[in-house]
Amino acid sequence: MKHSAGDHTVLSIRDVHGGTTRFANNQVIQNVHQRRGTLSITVAFGRQQGSASTTDFTAGAVRETLKQAERIARVSPEDPEYLPPVGAQAYLGLPTSRPETAAAGPARRLDYAREAIGQCKMENLNAAGTVSSSLAVVGLAADTGLTAYEERTEARFSLTVQAGDATGWAAAAHRSLDRLHIQERTLTAISKAKRGDDDPQELPPGRYTVILEPAAVSGLLSGMLWTLDAKSFDKGTSPFSGKLGARIIDRRLSLVNQPDHVDLLGYSFTSEGLPVFGSCWIEAGVLKQLLHDRYTAQQHQVDRIATLESPVFSGERPIGTRVEDLIRTTQRGILVTNFWYIRLVNPSDLTLTGMTRDGTFLVENGEIVSAVRNFRFHDSPLRVFNHLDAYTAPAEAVTSETGKALVPAMRIDDFNFSSVTRF
Amino acid sequence: MSGSSWDELAELALTRVRAAGVEYADIRLLDTTTRTIGGADRRIAQIRESSDRGFGIRVLHRGAWGFAASCILSLEEVPRIADLAVEIAKGSASLAIEKVRLVPEPVHRDRVTTACRLDPFSVPLEEQTALLLNAMEVIQQHPGVVRSSAGLWAQRDRKLLVSTEGTHLEFSLLAVQGECTATALHDGRFACRSFNTPHLRTGYELIRDADFLREGARIAEQAVEKVRAPAVHAGRYDLVLDPEHLSLTMHESCGHPSELDRALGYEANYAGTSFLTPDKRGTYRYGSAVVTLVADNTEAETLAATGYDDDGVTCQRWDIVRDGIFVGYCTNREVAGKIHEERSRGSNRADSWGSVPMVRIANIGLEPGTATLDDLIADVKCGIYIEGHGSYSIDQRRYNFQFGGDAFWLIENGRRTHMLRDVVYHGMTPEFWGKCDGVADRSHRRRYGFITCGKGQPGQSGWMTHAASHARFRRIDVMTGQAKA
Repeated sequence: MKHSAGDHTVLSIRDVHGGTTRFANNQVIQNVHQRRGTLSITVAFGRQQGSASTTDFTAGAVRETLKQAERIARVSPEDPEYLPPVGAQAYLGLPTSRPETAAAGPARRLDYAREAIGQCKMENLNAAGTVSSSLAVVGLAADTGLTAYEERTEARFSLTVQAGDATGWAAAAHRSLDRLHIQERTLTAISKAKRGDDDPQELPPGRYTVILEPAAVSGLLSGMLWTLDAKSFDKGTSPFSGKLGARIIDRRLSLVNQPDHVDLLGYSFTSEGLPVFGSCWIEAGVLKQLLHDRYTAQQHQVDRIATLESPVFSGERPIGTRVEDLIRTTQRGILVTNFWYIRLVNPSDLTLTGMTRDGTFLVENGEIVSAVRNFRFHDSPLRVFNHLDAYTAPAEAVTSETGKALVPAMRIDDFNFSSVTRF
Repeated sequence: MSGSSWDELAELALTRVRAAGVEYADIRLLDTTTRTIGGADRRIAQIRESSDRGFGIRVLHRGAWGFAASCILSLEEVPRIADLAVEIAKGSASLAIEKVRLVPEPVHRDRVTTACRLDPFSVPLEEQTALLLNAMEVIQQHPGVVRSSAGLWAQRDRKLLVSTEGTHLEFSLLAVQGECTATALHDGRFACRSFNTPHLRTGYELIRDADFLREGARIAEQAVEKVRAPAVHAGRYDLVLDPEHLSLTMHESCGHPSELDRALGYEANYAGTSFLTPDKRGTYRYGSAVVTLVADNTEAETLAATGYDDDGVTCQRWDIVRDGIFVGYCTNREVAGKIHEERSRGSNRADSWGSVPMVRIANIGLEPGTATLDDLIADVKCGIYIEGHGSYSIDQRRYNFQFGGDAFWLIENGRRTHMLRDVVYHGMTPEFWGKCDGVADRSHRRRYGFITCGKGQPGQSGWMTHAASHARFRRIDVMTGQAKA
């Protein structure tokens, strides 16, 4: 900092140690451990700024990175949206690091992989999945007095069990490696795969009542949250433009950010050093917040910038805690374990597409009666979450395409499956 | 590249793992410099240059893999990481059912350098930011356009790959790309139109040769026309697809299913498996007789043409689909032997020093036919001409797909008429390629690349180029890209 010639200088350090044991066909196919430290420096002269980063922490490399940031800043056009770095802040100081995860190495990850594979082999099934753990040390400093430091651990488990042509799946992510519930989730995946292997029938595309497990709900919700940014809102290029303060989804549903929830992956400060805090995003179906950067926050006279890294999506008076509570009360519907390859089709109305994956079943008279072939859907979460019939209390949801969230399982009417695939 | 010190570190690593009795090991040392300049709505929002330096050691011990990597290049860290890689491999071996066996590859000692006329890192930043600001200004001057963006990207990789077999390869590789986008607003709807140069292994001449101001004006005008265009009526249409659009179609429906590790189940928990299972090789009808898809990692300037892959295997050219029949896979040294091939196809690549290499899609291209674009359109009574990339999604075995596009024009009675909006088409991979009845000639051939092809756990970004001429597909199901349609 003291060598910088800039009017303002921000340093950001992230040092990550971690690894993943990856298995398929009941054996390890990839087993890796990595340490990567990164120093990023942003320098500003007036409204001109430049950034440079390095993974080399030797004194010479750090000095050269600072000089490179200065060189970039000196020739950058002035940025009309530039704001100086924030000053000293007060943070929640969340317990973001767990010693059992920080201490875990390849041997511990392998033990968990062995446990999952072992259970699948006992059932003559085929396991593919990962066990990973990491410790990230994150620090920020600026010449305005800003300092922030946090250790963040993260552990993940995911498993796909294959039974013939069918697959079952389960996944978990937690600050604590001890909270992945490997055995329980492996049994869930095994159960799905075995049930799916029973001669799946092909149902025609069309509009169905669906029961979406939390992972599937999370996929749709994520598709909605990506497009909440204030700049698009202001320019009229957001599906939410003109809808701040209006009801956008079913009035029974609310979305909050809850960084101190023990089962979420909250942290105390953002990459700019802003404090993270609990906030309400959708209240009784009404949109209450937009995703701001510091510039748009100033334009909107927003004092504190709310974040959405620890989402809890919930409804008042849920009918139970488990997806079985929805199945039991369904006359006829399609149970969806997860969605895959969700992509935006129409940014104006937020139409998404994607495929069902790892367990799609027909429910009749309160019971799963058969597996069905996977569908493609073509629908908008803004429409889907307005066709809500019933829901459970929120549960942990993590998929390969979304962050971790607490969301309910939901029964939705009139969900659009636009085509069917071969399996 | 500080060759002598990197060689010293490499030798230290390999000596260490040899002493542990490994069957095979390699070390990759990599120094990557990336420059990104991003502009939005008439302002330069970010200029960043990142240097990412480190090494990864891969060992095969007792028939199982171990890999460890670090950003600290020192005489103390290298043996520590080497020991860790061996320890990890021993753990993997305890859960091995089938031992890993690498197919043979000759020892190579070589140096590969990207040919370029103008080093992108030597071009003044002022020139680059001025180009983007001017492009955005041209776009925003068009009535009806409400937003603009523009960006430039360049990357240099300096790499050393050394193996216990004696292979010693040095690389100095470049890649460059630029783009701009216009967003128009009308009647509560908005629509984007983009111009992208391909990602190519060449110099800044790629950017200088692209006329960003002309292209900016074109996409601005087309964005306005697109947002005001009528929505497509759902139905069956003949489609004529441009090379940029086809690059994505080929990538998803041919590239990924032809990765042998996927076909063998390695990606079952994430990216998925493949309908192109090994029993189908040589007999399965993937498409019509006019469909020949060739993998070519030797074509100059393309992203996967790096001379050698991260197994140290020579880049090659081979058939994936010949005259409509599926005939070949992308492989590495680990999986090639599982389908009784004597040599890897050289498609093993990692996205950084900290990532373990895996099978990645080659530069797969559609072989040209004999028609012109006008010929293809002239023989369409009711169809749609599609350019560029839009939304895309495909099931985990790569059968059921849905693609959009960046721009759509109605074809009526052999003539391209007006633009359409909200076009998406869907189908099953083999049926779709089976409906291809015409490919334009080599003069229409264009190349487009990907640097964000996701695969693996932890996820990695793969790089490859797909080339095609325009092609025509008969009676494809088209839907309207709206939730209530």
